[in-house]
Amino acid sequence: MSTPILWILLPLLVAGMSLFLMRNRYFLRWIGLAYSVVLVFSALLLPINEVFKFLFWEVKLSDQLLIFGRRFILSGADRPIVILLFSLWFFWLLIMDPKLVPTQFIPLSLAGMCLILTAYSVEPIFYGALFFAFLALIYVVLLSPPGLEPTPGVLRFLIFQILGMLFILFAAWLASWINLNRGNQVMLTRSLLILALGFSFLLSIFPFISWIPMVGERNHPFLSGFIFNTYFLGVFLFGTRFILEGGWIGQGVNIQGPLQLAGVIMLGFGGLIAIFSKHMGRLIGAVIIAEIGRSLLAISLFQAGFPIYFGMVILQSISLGVWSISLTQLQQGIQDLDFQSAAGAARLWPVTSSGLLLGYFALAGVPLLGGFPIYWALGSGLSFYPFWINSVFVLSTLGLIFGGLRLLGVLTKNTGEETVLILGDPFYRYLILGLNILLILIGFLPQWIFSLTRTISDLLLGS
Amino acid sequence: MSDLLQSLLVVLLFICGAGILIMPSRRIMTGLLAVQYIGVFLLVSVSWPLEIAVVKLVAGWMASAVLFLTYQNLLGPINADRLDANLSGLFFKGFAALLIGISVYSLVPTALRWFLGATSQQALGGLWLLGLGLLQLLLSRDSLRIIIGLLTVISGFEILYATLEASVLMTGLLAILNIGFAFLGSYLLMASNLEESP
Repeated sequence: MSTPILWILLPLLVAGMSLFLMRNRYFLRWIGLAYSVVLVFSALLLPINEVFKFLFWEVKLSDQLLIFGRRFILSGADRPIVILLFSLWFFWLLIMDPKLVPTQFIPLSLAGMCLILTAYSVEPIFYGALFFAFLALIYVVLLSPPGLEPTPGVLRFLIFQILGMLFILFAAWLASWINLNRGNQVMLTRSLLILALGFSFLLSIFPFISWIPMVGERNHPFLSGFIFNTYFLGVFLFGTRFILEGGWIGQGVNIQGPLQLAGVIMLGFGGLIAIFSKHMGRLIGAVIIAEIGRSLLAISLFQAGFPIYFGMVILQSISLGVWSISLTQLQQGIQDLDFQSAAGAARLWPVTSSGLLLGYFALAGVPLLGGFPIYWALGSGLSFYPFWINSVFVLSTLGLIFGGLRLLGVLTKNTGEETVLILGDPFYRYLILGLNILLILIGFLPQWIFSLTRTISDLLLGS
Repeated sequence: MSDLLQSLLVVLLFICGAGILIMPSRRIMTGLLAVQYIGVFLLVSVSWPLEIAVVKLVAGWMASAVLFLTYQNLLGPINADRLDANLSGLFFKGFAALLIGISVYSLVPTALRWFLGATSQQALGGLWLLGLGLLQLLLSRDSLRIIIGLLTVISGFEILYATLEASVLMTGLLAILNIGFAFLGSYLLMASNLEESP
């Protein structure tokens, strides 16, 4: 037995088998929740590369699997990533309303998590790009549930991910060429440019951002929230490992400047789109674009930035989760998700609307909410860098907050409408309230998050 | 393989790539895709042993078969096979394909400096497919055309990448990816007719 079998192949098998149980959506969800707990605890407790007793057998869990000469490695140092990914899966299953979310979410999301882990664990790391292509295929199916036409945003997402994969594979080959011809600056520049283009496609860096608001606007809010949350996390994990293991830093290349430039551009666009958005799906797309920018800026700080980045991941998951479940519930009461249709929603459905507002404002960085201390730490880290980076950082945050204030104005508008329609089960209303409280608690007690994320980044960077 | 045969294969690839772009009939598109994979297989076999190169052909034909069987089983009128097309659109696409052909031809000497192990025919064939596939992706909103465009782009890439690396795992994964695209295309074509989920 090995960790890649336990955390990749077996879950993939379970995901495949659960496709046959899709008619029993509640049963499948409970099975999924139980299995995610098993996976998280196995990653927490099982010793790796040591013999231990399991029931009647003595077992040794090896940390690698060899397939056609390529290794898949999940060592003890990678435990935080395994725990993070399967905890995220647990969280999204927990907040999923089986009546409102397509059942295929359960098997396909598990398969997605496994493919992210595969891309992260494969050696040589550039093979990971291929697994992201498979992930894109699965996420396209996930975003196109039965009964609905595939949306243009989804098709664009697919095209960009596949082109990104091709560029990364080619850049990785060029990098191996550089190893044979040390000091060849022309080849180094070429391969770096192609690599940057590849990751720009994967991370949807400008000008490849268009699919994000398109998917936010036209696709199921819960599914798009999940994909925004996990896909970019996967790409960032893969990208970080690619940079660290590919020896790109060792070539004496300054990647901090390009990372910060890309981050600032994304932040700027996110802020701008938020100001002009008139649709709740596009608004969350704007925040996601800004979050990609912030993540790039956090990673550009290297060692100091990793705890901030993982803090952002945790915050993003909770905020996107509460936003997605609230929007899914709200969709039952209004015709469309544009601002005009949502006018006065907070007067009719205050709990659901509070989830939307708190989830959004936490991601925007409003003081006293969960995002504020994390973005404050990021801003403090960036204060040693040029003024223009800090200016865009502040202006973009103001743009995001302005977009949120417009949403607040729309949701609380007095339209004179009265209704007795109650949205969703009480469980989901309590869940939204609970997550709102959690977002406020993180704002007051950020040290909990930071102590956790410091441990994660120490473990990862120590590997 | 002789230079003349390789050159003929490259011409075949261009005709198939341009035909896929222009043809409004789904069945003819898929047929051309299947023929295109013969050219891809033979050009890859210049760099790889035949028994590994044949994987490209098998995967490509499987992908084409999956797509073809999907149209056969789709409900709807007989002429649903034809995608929207008008004469000026066809001329425009043909002209754009020709432009891609000429501009890529002029790029071959540069490409040969990057792909050192490639013959000029491999470089030309690979780049033509890449260019025509990208053109398909740029000009189309139909999910089937996008899937076939992506298959064309990957075919072009596979020809070029075969001159750089011959890994069994990579070959297998790319083959699975091709078939995965076909299944995705098949699913996307049928998704709107399937039983609605919540």
